[in-house]
Amino acid sequence: MTDWPQAFEAELLRLGVQPGRARRLADETAQQAAETAGVPAEIFGPAHLYARHLVAELSAPAALSPRTRYEPGPVMLSLTGVSKRYRRQTVFTGVDLTVRGGEVAAIVGANGCGKSTLLRICAGLTRPSGGTVKRTRRVGFVPQDGGTAGWLTAEEHFTLFGAAAGMVPGRARSTGVHLATRLAWRPGRQQRAQQMSGGTRQKLNLVLGELHAPDLLLLDEPYQGFDQGTYVDFWQQVFAWRDAGRAVVVVTHLLHDLQNVDHVLDLGER
Amino acid sequence: MTTLVVATLSAREVRRRWAALALVIALPFWFYLVRRDATGQSMRMLTLGIGWAISTLTLFVVNASRGVDPRLRLTGASVVSIIGGRLLAMTGVGVALAAGYWLLAWLDQDVLHPWAAALMMLVSAVVAAPLGSLIGALLPRELEGALALLSVVAVQMLADPAGLTAKLMPFWSAREIGTYAVDGGSAEMVLHGLAHAGLTWLICAGGTLAVFQWRLRLARYPEP
Repeated sequence: MTDWPQAFEAELLRLGVQPGRARRLADETAQQAAETAGVPAEIFGPAHLYARHLVAELSAPAALSPRTRYEPGPVMLSLTGVSKRYRRQTVFTGVDLTVRGGEVAAIVGANGCGKSTLLRICAGLTRPSGGTVKRTRRVGFVPQDGGTAGWLTAEEHFTLFGAAAGMVPGRARSTGVHLATRLAWRPGRQQRAQQMSGGTRQKLNLVLGELHAPDLLLLDEPYQGFDQGTYVDFWQQVFAWRDAGRAVVVVTHLLHDLQNVDHVLDLGER
Repeated sequence: MTTLVVATLSAREVRRRWAALALVIALPFWFYLVRRDATGQSMRMLTLGIGWAISTLTLFVVNASRGVDPRLRLTGASVVSIIGGRLLAMTGVGVALAAGYWLLAWLDQDVLHPWAAALMMLVSAVVAAPLGSLIGALLPRELEGALALLSVVAVQMLADPAGLTAKLMPFWSAREIGTYAVDGGSAEMVLHGLAHAGLTWLICAGGTLAVFQWRLRLARYPEP
């Protein structure tokens, strides 16, 4: 844990804090830890999360200045009184959610409360037991795990999913590679999905979900295996999609990013 | 176009599973080798080996695609193009395997009707792909599927060819054509074999399609 201050400073720099200010903040934080005779990691938690928390706190006044924020667009997803039962067991009932273009909704809740089931209902892969679902036609779905073919390379995945969406192979590949670079990933030509790390495979999953430019993106904890930098890039990408007028629904169990989303549906509270 | 892309990439996937591919190529060879001294037995065992190998390989390919298929559907692919593309690829692999083994048999054995021997192996390969696909559709786990295929091949191997049980088995057609190819007799046996193969193919391919139509169905929601 001795490299906590360095990791903290590096993350501040990554988040755009000026080098002098980052050094000063790192020194001050280390000093605070020393005053309480504690280890920084125990007092402040993981360096990258505390850095992001601090940057959010410091930039809070700036949020009052006019930020480019678009008017919500047309409704892309509407759930009214949706319920799901498996035989005699009720998973959830009476779920209402409306997400418009240019909005991000987060579905949160404890393990087993039906977050992934609800997302699959939104996608149309699972049928609801009750209620009404209205959804835009073009939808991209990113599952929590799986969803790729282990023996195919990233570019072959782009070709396959592009063909399913009616794209010619060349265009599908170039689009996929372009989207991958936005997640700071350059797909290897020979590397198969089964040879990729968990995080890289999830990046592939994300790109496949977005390849056909859907109006609604349904993401089931897509950041599993991401390193901290990619995790930040992921959320920046989510907000870029929002600013481009798309609707995004994210299943998550991490609560510290919810301040930036437009709707939070807590299935655990139901 | 989706069908062709699925077929091309499925064939590429199979090519990369080189260990499985080597075993698939070798399996009929062992069947052939143990009865090489008897033309009729060796040809029948070889043909059954081709059928078993291709159906097992298809089963694994179908199971490996389980996670991708719903996403492909959601992206816009039809069930027919997904299943059709995969069947096309595996039939192609089967035909290539059958062609190679027919050449071996032609060089190594004294067969009465070599063209019928070719047809026997071709029928076995063509029926094997949808059979493996149907087993994969009905039994989602590879072990269960492989055991089911083993049972089918074992019954096919042991049943009296003239009895009803053998006729209900998927590879009876190859055996019937094989009898004509090796022992001669009425050419009607070829026609019976082809009719049996056609019916088996229709049942297996249609069954696969029906199962996947149900499994990959998407809820149709109205637009907001």
